[in-house]
Amino acid sequence: MTERMNELFGGLQDPMSRRELLRRAGRGSVFLGVGALLAACGIQGEDDDAGPAPTEASPSPLPEIAGQVVVANWPLYIDRAKGESPTLVSFTEETDIQIDYQVVINDNEEFFGTIQEPLSRGQSAGYDIIVVTDWMVAKMIRLGFLQPLHHDRLPNFEANAFEKFKDPSYDPGNIYSIPWAAGITGIGYDIERTGRELTSREDLWDPAFEGHVGMFTEMRDSFGFALLANGVVPEEATMEDVEAAQQKLLEQRETGIVRGYFGNDYTDQLATGNLWVSMAWSGDIFALQQDNPNLRFIIPEEGAMRWTDNMVIPVGAEHPADAHEFMNFVYDPRIATNITEWVWYESPVSQVPDLIRQDAAEASGGEAELLDQIAESPLVFPSEEVESQLYNYKNLDEEDERAWNELFQAVVQG
Amino acid sequence: MTTTVETAAPRSARWRRAGPPYSLLLPGGLWLLVFFVVPMVSMLSVSLQEGSLEQGYELTWRFQTYLDVLGKFDRQFIRSIFYGLMVTGALLLICYPLAYTIAFRGGRWKNALLFLLIMPFFVSFIIRTLEWKFILADDGFIFGPLKNLGWLGQDFRVLATPFAVIGGLVYNFLPFMALPLYVALERMDRSLLDAAGDLYSSRTSAFLRVTLPLSLPGVFAGSLLTFIPAVGDFINAEVLGGINTTMIGNVIQNEFLVNNDYPEAAAISFLLLAGILIGVAVYAKLLGTEELTG
Repeated sequence: MTERMNELFGGLQDPMSRRELLRRAGRGSVFLGVGALLAACGIQGEDDDAGPAPTEASPSPLPEIAGQVVVANWPLYIDRAKGESPTLVSFTEETDIQIDYQVVINDNEEFFGTIQEPLSRGQSAGYDIIVVTDWMVAKMIRLGFLQPLHHDRLPNFEANAFEKFKDPSYDPGNIYSIPWAAGITGIGYDIERTGRELTSREDLWDPAFEGHVGMFTEMRDSFGFALLANGVVPEEATMEDVEAAQQKLLEQRETGIVRGYFGNDYTDQLATGNLWVSMAWSGDIFALQQDNPNLRFIIPEEGAMRWTDNMVIPVGAEHPADAHEFMNFVYDPRIATNITEWVWYESPVSQVPDLIRQDAAEASGGEAELLDQIAESPLVFPSEEVESQLYNYKNLDEEDERAWNELFQAVVQG
Repeated sequence: MTTTVETAAPRSARWRRAGPPYSLLLPGGLWLLVFFVVPMVSMLSVSLQEGSLEQGYELTWRFQTYLDVLGKFDRQFIRSIFYGLMVTGALLLICYPLAYTIAFRGGRWKNALLFLLIMPFFVSFIIRTLEWKFILADDGFIFGPLKNLGWLGQDFRVLATPFAVIGGLVYNFLPFMALPLYVALERMDRSLLDAAGDLYSSRTSAFLRVTLPLSLPGVFAGSLLTFIPAVGDFINAEVLGGINTTMIGNVIQNEFLVNNDYPEAAAISFLLLAGILIGVAVYAKLLGTEELTG
């Protein structure tokens, strides 16, 4: 033992020999080497020249049709019948393009986290089309993660899209995105469990529902919700407003009223009855109502958040030409109608409400009633009165987003 | 000149004897180098970087990040370690009698019993955990009827409580405790117990002074195999937990995937690693590793 100690520390006690000096210098260079290695592990930013340039707005020429396309989308977001989607089947029949439709998005940020790494290197994340919410489109444009679209390949969009869905503020000129569907973040609840009608955001702070209230992990939705509850218009929120909103959310949390923070999986929780009241996306609740008629969706009196989900083509996508085919295909009025009749979200295609009414006239019984309900519902196709109650997300730059996120994570991760 | 010749001969002979066994380490060693050392170095580097997704991350040797995350996530660190200890303790209490019974009383049913023990684990981890969520639903097929009968209060729930998370972890890690305990008990020399009896030992003191000490290697291995993954787990808290059950694994996942704050995520991972290493070292010291591994 002592021998070993001497061997280890001998060099420190004795005057340093030349050999010793070299040996130590060698050790030092090992550390230097590790340092260089550590530095080499730096992660490149998007502002660097090496990254894809975000301002590159003229699309590069499209390759040939490859015969396949991979789409990433959210749950309950396309028509289903007998275990398959008629839309997807007819797409393959008409175009000869095999489609791999993956339901992999549960939350914008979480999904973004899984594709961020390859996209930052300009490589394919495995998807040709992804469907993300308006603010995420803006963020991805900022990061240079999206390909400009070839509008000459999207004639159906030009011809059929509602004017209000063209040229949105998050992507002026629809250079990178075209809408998939739009909806509202309001309140969903089970009237049998709550025992009363809900009208206000304050109902989600009602101690009577302790342990059965759900909130969203989507920071913009949950903060938007709390901001509106505090009487603040989300787009005009200052940092103080957001801090107050955080307090509001913390209060809901500390008192045990909120059960948890959910992504799209809140729908299971509402369906199984673990949640009685939850922040909710409009179309989900209408779809769930088919199984549980006690479910209700409301726009609270303080207003609700309005969002648009968009189809975009990420950089490095392997089948961009096929992706355009699919985008154009779902803007066919008949196809868009089929999807809307199933998903219950507002379609960006202008002929859809009339086509649904037409289908209703041809159908009979419960089916006809249901279709009529969709076509006339102010929550699926917002009336002017409903529109006036809807608010957009605030456009956040990176610094704001970080600050908001910091405040929000303190709520969610407690 | 002569000395070099003299020392060279035995050295090469030694190499001839020892070379082949060492070269057997090569595949595993390379594997560890590529998939363990390289990621560790890269993660260490990331933890000392600063920046953002847009600006990129640059190595600035910012050790402050470590203090930051300790201050920010102290509750989740403590909670994870507490959960880990609870899980390991509960598993010892559950698995020791189980392994003991199978090893000493299993007889010809031993293999069948062991098979039954691991059978549920042929099903994917995630599926089993999700299944608990359905079974334990507030108005699910267990609690629903009990509530209707009035045996449970309407407010009773298991999901979204710490109990659910700890319970899920206990369930998911059961074989990792049971199997090492079984192996330790099974290979025990039974004649030692007869000897203890011959020396007028009661059955209790024979257990305490013979069986228990001899099974300590199993206790040690089982504790490590359950405590370490339990502390870092995030699935159970994610699926079965609610508010105030967030574990450090969830924080890491969230920092990495949602906030894209890679330095913080990496720093937390390293702190967790250091914490576990220290904990295990103390534990090994207390139990006396030399006897356990030697």
